[in-house]
Amino acid sequence: MLYLIGLGLGDESDITRRGLEVVKGCKRILLESYTSILPGISKERLEELYGKPVEIAYREKVEEDIEEVIEEAREDDVAFLVIGDPFGATTHTDLYLRALRLGVKVEVVHNASIMNACGACGLQLYRFGETVSIVFFTETWRHGDSFYDKILRNNAGKVEGGLHTLCLLDIKVHELNFDEMIKTGKPVYMPPTFMKASVAASQLLEIEERRKDGACSPDRPAIALARVGAKDQVIVSGTLERLSRSDVDDVLGAPLHSLIVCGELHDLEKEFFEHFDIDKR
Amino acid sequence: MVKFTIDEIRGLMDKQHNIRNMSVIAHVDHGKSTLTDSLVAAAGIIAVENAGDQRLTDTRQDEQDRCITIKSTGISLYYQMEEEWLAAFKGKRDGNDFLVNLIDSPGHVDFSSEVTAALRITDGALVVVDCVEGVCVQTETVLRQALGERIRPVLTVNKMDRCFLELMLEGEEAYTNFLRVIENANVIMATYTDEKLGEVQVYPDQGTVSFSAGLHGWAFTLTTFAQLYSKKFGVAEEKMMSKLWGDNFFDPKTKKWTKKDTGSGTCQRAFVQFIYNPIKAIIDGCMAGKKDDVFKKMTALGILDLLKSEDRELDGKPLMKRVMQTWLPADRALLEMMIYHLPSPAIAQAYRVETLYEGPPDDVYGTAIANCDPNGPLMLYVSKMIPSSDKGRFFAFGRVFAGKVGTGQKVRIMGPNYVPGQKKDLYIKAVQRTVLCMGRRQDAVEDVPCGNTVAMVGLDQYITKNATLTNEKCVDAHPIKAMKFSVSPVVRVAVECKTASDLPKLVEGLKRLAKSDPMVQCSIEDTGEHIIAGAGELHLEICLKDLQEDFMGGAPIRVSDPVVSFRETVSKASDKVVMSKSPNKHNRVYMTARPLEEGLPEAIDEGLVGPRDEPKARGRYLAEKYEWDKDIGARKIWCFGPDTTGPNMVIDMTKGVQYLNEIKDSVVAAHQWATKDGPLAEENMRGIAFEIEDVVLHADAIHRGGGQIIPTTRRVMYAAELNAGPKLMEPVYLVEIQCPENAIGGVYSVLNQKRGIVFEEQQRPGTPIYNIKAYLPVIESFGFTGTLRAATSGQAFPQSVFDHWEMMSSDPHDEGSKSNEIALEARKRKGLKEILPTTKDYEDKL
Repeated sequence: MLYLIGLGLGDESDITRRGLEVVKGCKRILLESYTSILPGISKERLEELYGKPVEIAYREKVEEDIEEVIEEAREDDVAFLVIGDPFGATTHTDLYLRALRLGVKVEVVHNASIMNACGACGLQLYRFGETVSIVFFTETWRHGDSFYDKILRNNAGKVEGGLHTLCLLDIKVHELNFDEMIKTGKPVYMPPTFMKASVAASQLLEIEERRKDGACSPDRPAIALARVGAKDQVIVSGTLERLSRSDVDDVLGAPLHSLIVCGELHDLEKEFFEHFDIDKR
Repeated sequence: MVKFTIDEIRGLMDKQHNIRNMSVIAHVDHGKSTLTDSLVAAAGIIAVENAGDQRLTDTRQDEQDRCITIKSTGISLYYQMEEEWLAAFKGKRDGNDFLVNLIDSPGHVDFSSEVTAALRITDGALVVVDCVEGVCVQTETVLRQALGERIRPVLTVNKMDRCFLELMLEGEEAYTNFLRVIENANVIMATYTDEKLGEVQVYPDQGTVSFSAGLHGWAFTLTTFAQLYSKKFGVAEEKMMSKLWGDNFFDPKTKKWTKKDTGSGTCQRAFVQFIYNPIKAIIDGCMAGKKDDVFKKMTALGILDLLKSEDRELDGKPLMKRVMQTWLPADRALLEMMIYHLPSPAIAQAYRVETLYEGPPDDVYGTAIANCDPNGPLMLYVSKMIPSSDKGRFFAFGRVFAGKVGTGQKVRIMGPNYVPGQKKDLYIKAVQRTVLCMGRRQDAVEDVPCGNTVAMVGLDQYITKNATLTNEKCVDAHPIKAMKFSVSPVVRVAVECKTASDLPKLVEGLKRLAKSDPMVQCSIEDTGEHIIAGAGELHLEICLKDLQEDFMGGAPIRVSDPVVSFRETVSKASDKVVMSKSPNKHNRVYMTARPLEEGLPEAIDEGLVGPRDEPKARGRYLAEKYEWDKDIGARKIWCFGPDTTGPNMVIDMTKGVQYLNEIKDSVVAAHQWATKDGPLAEENMRGIAFEIEDVVLHADAIHRGGGQIIPTTRRVMYAAELNAGPKLMEPVYLVEIQCPENAIGGVYSVLNQKRGIVFEEQQRPGTPIYNIKAYLPVIESFGFTGTLRAATSGQAFPQSVFDHWEMMSSDPHDEGSKSNEIALEARKRKGLKEILPTTKDYEDKL
């Protein structure tokens, strides 16, 4: 059996009780380590808790060399650990499908994901539109129209009736540097980088400047979140312009960050918004 | 040691008639550098005593510095001449001070733009030929290039010392030798005669040929001896000169001149009797230790007083060198040729303007160039970028053809892709500093007027290789013609050092080599091998020599057998659309491949079609020439590759795919990668159009980044190539072979054996020499020269230049075929699996 097990967002103890029992019974444990991180938690802490060795699985392993893991799960129990919820993002649907196609049984143990834990900021989950990822601009590529378009579709460029947009921010844990690779012919990895909330806000403002459709105007309310689900999570609110300033990152601290571009705020939501105001902390 | 001030030099720059811009050109190893040292020494930069030994005795670091500077820069030399010495000079001059801007063109670049770049900014050339080896392939190539640029040549027959010390030639033998060398050079010059340039053949009795021993720092022209003997015989100098060369014999017994050897035993050719033998006597005397004898002869010549007393204490070879340098100083003879017989910029620019200026020669800029007008608009050609001592920065080095350029001046920089009236490849920037290159040192000057060479600081970010500069406001100026070379580094060797501890030297040496020659490519293979790629066997040989001797301080290296680069192409359009999925399986790219139209890859090579074209113009061009849809040619070409300008492209044939633009960068990057290392043998691709048929993308940007799209697109390109009749292309040389009639049979049989195809055979008018032109696959060219010489008793001289890429007819997947063999061999060498991949290896199924 292949178990896809969510680890939640905080630390090693956030795993569900059922999840922990399953992991302890598995012959082999893999930890997917490229779509997210557990803030400040090392592999060793997990191993200590499970009493078993844990393998780190980067992108290449999961995308290109996972068949042998699936095959092993045909006979034995294998745990594939995912930070957050296994289906929180779309990344692991392919793994599920492949296992099904190979006739290997899969079981999922759910957990909290940023997709629901972002409710911690007081915005109602019912009032969110499509989620987007914001990727780093490069020297030659600064369009980002696709995520801007989605935010625009969510809030229609207005305040009244608009939906909130949860923005997941770019994360590069163990990514190939293709420019270097084309030059040298050897795989070169980039240092880990995590987009900060202020960078995401400035990128959105830059696109707004060009598009002028109002989806991300400087005065639009927004909320920045750091390490949601962890004991030291931080939430601050302000206008997009306010959150694009670099002092925001000092308040937020270490990764991972997320950003919410707000739509129309309900009265209760407004109370939360004011509670988290970055300038009234 | 420097005898002059910068102000003096700057003053001289205004005296156009007293300037000579010249380059020294030669076949490798004919002694160009040592000869150049003599000239530099006379200008006071290097101590005279060391000239000739400079290369041997300088410390390594120094030598390396010097090699780089001299190799890649110009040197401005200042000479003060005596009135008496200039008396016979009939041309215009303004005082006795002369400025020689010497551009040392690297000896090894018969195919590269660097020689022409050097020639471009000079007006005259000193051609150096080894008196024993004679005119070589390289000599001919550079001479042809020089004459093509309307550069006037003078010749020096070098390494005279070999006649005396090594070969011990008798006078008559030596004379025949020299005669042959000069005649060979003249045959070439006659072939490339240019009406506007006029008579360019060289003759010793006209002073356009000198005889030199660069290593020992001495040289002479017939003038030197004519002056000496005209006094003695009471004959006019000019008459004496004509007697000293050709069939003129003198019998000292009868005191009679004859046109033939009378056979009296005392009758001798004048050149032998009055020039060769006296030199021989002095050299032999020194070497044999007969100092008294030598000093007596010197007294007779009136030169003993010039020999310093400490030099008189010397013995053997050092004494011989000092005596010869005192008697016949090399710089004197060379300067005489240069000042008397090479044109000043004022004279040269008048006939060079047509070959230089792209615009109408009678517009204000053309006229200013023709008149070498310092008050006209600035016209400056930057011919190369030279590394400065400031690491990573470069000087822009070039020639001012009209106007003046000064520190702080704002200039309009027209790059090689600039089109008049457009904004592309055009910058307006200020020159931070104008600098004079004085060998190892650079000195700032306030400004530099036309007719001179100049180095400029602060433009290196805007000029890649060459450019035309003019005044900021001169918006209607056309650029100076760019030079295009259809050359390609197709032959590669792997190098390693024999001593492991020399590795840092090798790595550093390769870096310097790559800088010193813009065509050479140095790289490191996956296997860790250091690879050097050049134009051909000869070019590589010379690069390797440079690498070892100049850039590695003589550290021994081991060189692999040469290997030829191939190209991968397709012979038909894909028969179906192929698809690859991204690693996360959420993205799919659909593509086909087809061959580019015949002639289009060459048009891309030549820059007629490229990424920087104005889209509409490109659309029109492709529509007219290659029957493309105008809109596709203008708006749908995403990129060219490899290296963003190569002869392959990606064309967007999709309709209505949302956010396609967001993956454009990744597709472009993938194309650069795929076209650089094709699937057959990791060779460059050539002549392939990849058409994107459809794309399925993940809804969220983070799941369709470069990490997903780049490898996928590369795979689908591989699948498409392999699905479209993949073929290999091999490089082909154009070989020009000169031989007498009786050697033609041998030439043909060697060519047949080497898969060569003759396409032209012509007798040179008025000579028994035939010119044969043939195409020869580069892979067959190794050892070609040797085989040819053996088959023609050394009478045939081939010269190879890269000409084109030829598709090999055999199917690389056909086991045992030539293409298959080549591809497998390349794979083996590169450490790849020795099985040719097929579409299946890269294609994904739904």
